[in-house]
Amino acid sequence: MPAVADASLTAQFGALLPYLVVAGGGVLLLLADALSRASRRDHLYLLTVAVLLGALAAQLFGPAPERTALLRGMLGGEAYTQYFNLLFLGIALLTATFATSVFERAARYRTDFYPLLVFATLGMMILAAATDLLTLFLGLETMSLAVYVLVGGQRGSLRASEAGLKYLLLGAFASAFLLFGMGLVYGWAGGTGYADIADGLRGAGGNLLLLRAGLGLMLVAFAFKIAIVPFHMWTPDVYDGAASFVTGYMATGVKAAAFAALLRFCQLALPELGGFWWPLLAVLAVVTMIVANLVALAQDGIKRMLAWSSVAHAGYLMLGVLALLATGRQGLAATVGPASGGAVLFYLVAYSLMNLGAFGVITLLGPDRGEEADRISGYAGLARRQPLVAASLAVCLLSLAGIPPTAGFMAKFYVFGAVVKAGLVPLAIWGVVASLISVYYYLRVIVVMYMQPAGESIHDGRSWETAFATGLLALLILFLGVWPGGLQRLAEVTFRTLAG
Amino acid sequence: MLGSHILSWVVFLPLVGAVAILLTGRRAVVARGLAMLVAVADFALSLVVLARFDGADGGDQLVERAAWLAGGKISYAIAVDGISLFLVLLTTFLGPLVILSCWRAIADRVRECMAFLLLLQAAMLGTFVARDMLLFYVFWESMLIPMSFIIGIWGGERRIYAAVKFFLFTMVGSIFMLVAILYCYFQAGSMAFSDFLALQLPRAAQLWLFAAFALAFAIKVPLFPLHTWLPDAHVEAPTAGSVILAGVLLKMGTYGLLRFAIPLFPQALTTFGPWLAVLSVIGIIYGALVALVQPDVKKLVAYSSVSHLGFVVLGTVSLTPEGIAGGIFQMLAHGLSTGALFLLVGVIYERRHTRLIEDFGGLAHAMPLYASVFMFVTLASVGLPGLCGFVGEFLILTGTFRSALLPHARLLAVLAATGVVLGAFYMLWMYQRVFFGPLRHEKNRGLADLTPREWAYLLPILVGILWLGVRPAPLLERMQPAIERLLGPVTRELTVDRAPLQQAGGARLGTVALQVSDPLEVE
Repeated sequence: MPAVADASLTAQFGALLPYLVVAGGGVLLLLADALSRASRRDHLYLLTVAVLLGALAAQLFGPAPERTALLRGMLGGEAYTQYFNLLFLGIALLTATFATSVFERAARYRTDFYPLLVFATLGMMILAAATDLLTLFLGLETMSLAVYVLVGGQRGSLRASEAGLKYLLLGAFASAFLLFGMGLVYGWAGGTGYADIADGLRGAGGNLLLLRAGLGLMLVAFAFKIAIVPFHMWTPDVYDGAASFVTGYMATGVKAAAFAALLRFCQLALPELGGFWWPLLAVLAVVTMIVANLVALAQDGIKRMLAWSSVAHAGYLMLGVLALLATGRQGLAATVGPASGGAVLFYLVAYSLMNLGAFGVITLLGPDRGEEADRISGYAGLARRQPLVAASLAVCLLSLAGIPPTAGFMAKFYVFGAVVKAGLVPLAIWGVVASLISVYYYLRVIVVMYMQPAGESIHDGRSWETAFATGLLALLILFLGVWPGGLQRLAEVTFRTLAG
Repeated sequence: MLGSHILSWVVFLPLVGAVAILLTGRRAVVARGLAMLVAVADFALSLVVLARFDGADGGDQLVERAAWLAGGKISYAIAVDGISLFLVLLTTFLGPLVILSCWRAIADRVRECMAFLLLLQAAMLGTFVARDMLLFYVFWESMLIPMSFIIGIWGGERRIYAAVKFFLFTMVGSIFMLVAILYCYFQAGSMAFSDFLALQLPRAAQLWLFAAFALAFAIKVPLFPLHTWLPDAHVEAPTAGSVILAGVLLKMGTYGLLRFAIPLFPQALTTFGPWLAVLSVIGIIYGALVALVQPDVKKLVAYSSVSHLGFVVLGTVSLTPEGIAGGIFQMLAHGLSTGALFLLVGVIYERRHTRLIEDFGGLAHAMPLYASVFMFVTLASVGLPGLCGFVGEFLILTGTFRSALLPHARLLAVLAATGVVLGAFYMLWMYQRVFFGPLRHEKNRGLADLTPREWAYLLPILVGILWLGVRPAPLLERMQPAIERLLGPVTRELTVDRAPLQQAGGARLGTVALQVSDPLEVE
């Protein structure tokens, strides 16, 4: 594939504006943080919101996305990029809102949270748009470095420091795998651009072992970021140790970004991944779903439980990716690819909504509760004390469990539908068995909230911003559960721009 | 305003009511009043449906269709036919009575309770009228949440265990159904029920798909040995929950079997039909025997449901017009009589806070009217001719006896008939121990008889029981065309495999059920 001709500079500027706004805004926030007194941190929040909204506006009202390569083939400028940029910016906006409600009450968080959040979001945007191995690595590292600090950024919290360090060390390993894999692929293809790799694949000459090893090593790095068994070991500890709003950000943003990059990568290397690596990926996806759901059953802490649940959801998402990869083989309807890619995109949005809602509620209740805050038993009687918040959490959990009429059900419906359409009925059965297991632990939290009386007096946090945001998320989840058609069409059309 | 959307109104009015109650019902009185108003209005609307229903037409009526997803391949399609109609009526009929029954019994979080009851009603109604498979599945699964909340929040001692068990059991079945639905969807190219019906699937595929569907429905029925959730759910649920569970929810399983599993995968029936029949006969006898030894009245009634629902499944898989008509009729009759039994158990539980048989005895002295009403319902439940229970059981046994599909059909019918005898035994024995003899417990001496509120929710059911028993013909006539329509293609397809069925299917179809429709004549 010859590199798509670069668009004119002005058009590029328009398409690059969201990245520039976020990057510039990050720098601005760093300065503002350094110059302002600690007591006036809500200005930082407002500035963050302004930056993110600015980037959202630039993305929404900027030039219509085209199938053009930006910066000489470094970034893709399709609707696919736009879709994910909007998702990342939305996630960051909600995360900042959840965080600010905690900052008002607890001083143990570092003030450089906001700039780091913005930089991490920039990394995600680059990661999702990368059409070159170099930008892929750049995006991944920008995101990861910022998130390492976000995880560890709680003053005086041993758990958070441990989590940060663990994530950093293991993340560094993953990066090394990625780099080595990229090196091999580069050596095989003779270029770092996706276009070069695609050219090489079309010829399919040379030493295939080199390519396969390179792709395999890169898959390891992706599997680490999206937390697929057996590369998931860090997830429970890191999710548990980080502040709740950071966990929510990681579970949604980092995962979505890694999947965005993975999907693009899969679309590129379809024949090899769909052929050589497919069986292994299928086994890993099934093992991921079953193991993660079984372990989640045994968790007492709500954050650990949601950490394992996020591993399980990576498994469901992998089913969609597998259906996409299966199109690399013969004899499948041409619609399977876009259907499965679109299903994954839909799933990522639904998944982000419900996880953000759940972590929003956890953040909201957390800071006043002390060390035992995360125990599920601490949620007893919540439905009586804060009915609306409990209802929001219940909707998010039911959606995670995939019970209609919620977005989570529709997401699973589309993904499993794509899997069945690709003729992979056994995989779909594994998927439903896994989600059946998951029902029990999601339901347990609801049971505790609604059906058990509160024990000793528990002080729940209250914050209207977070309550409002989570309530809104719950309504959105219900809305998407009944009218998913619009988003689904958008997701499929968006994915088609990638597939070409 | 109602115009051509009358069915949608029936389904969604309770949903609207639930939202309204959540928003405004901070005071218990408002919540109860609003819920009652909505439930009564919903019943009235469903009567309009009945009035507009053309009994001579066996197809779908009052059809509403709108594109929903996937460019119209998945649609919002609802309709009623002779099978759905009466289940819809049963649901809306029980709705206000249930709300009235928990007027006093539920004093905590009234707003939520009323909202959940109405949500549940909307989901149940939707399940009965849905003619699109995804829509059906969404309604089907949506029933789970309010029902398990009702059990789990307002239930008895082990309510949480019961609620979770109910949820998981039902989920196990329905989740495989989802895969089966997806598979058919890609074969048929649409989620419309009619397109599913037109599918020509190979026999092997039909077997798997039928198994997936039947598992979901068998758990819901519940068919032996999948019934273990039922006694727990029934005993722990509050009275209102038990009534809905027994009255309507259990019928979801038999309805699904009749509406979906059998017409969609007829060839699988030659393999699975006999097994289902055997399981249902085991269920009939096992349920009755276990009911016999229960010390707890509510548990006894719960096990009697296992037995009664076994009859319905048996009649359905007999694939004879009598059997199926009897099955549907039995669903209605069981809904009324068992619903009434749970209400009556609730009445005494509210007064004494116990349901153990040994805590009573001689209640007829203290509460004579209550005792008479209980007797009436007991007789209906055991199938006394002239009351509702008889018609269904008789038709089912006739249908089973004549079934060409089932091997050893006569033996099965005879065995099932012993269930009727056992039924009379455990019900009347329980009645004797609770109501006759001397008043053994001091506490029972001063019990008040039925209050006007209790009469208000019992009387309509009593009238219904009597009316169904004496005049079953109008109902059976309206079911008849729908049953013929359902059986026609099924028997046609099965005749390829089994010649004898032709005889049972073609010639006598339509005449037999009406012949026995008036039990007084049969006598």
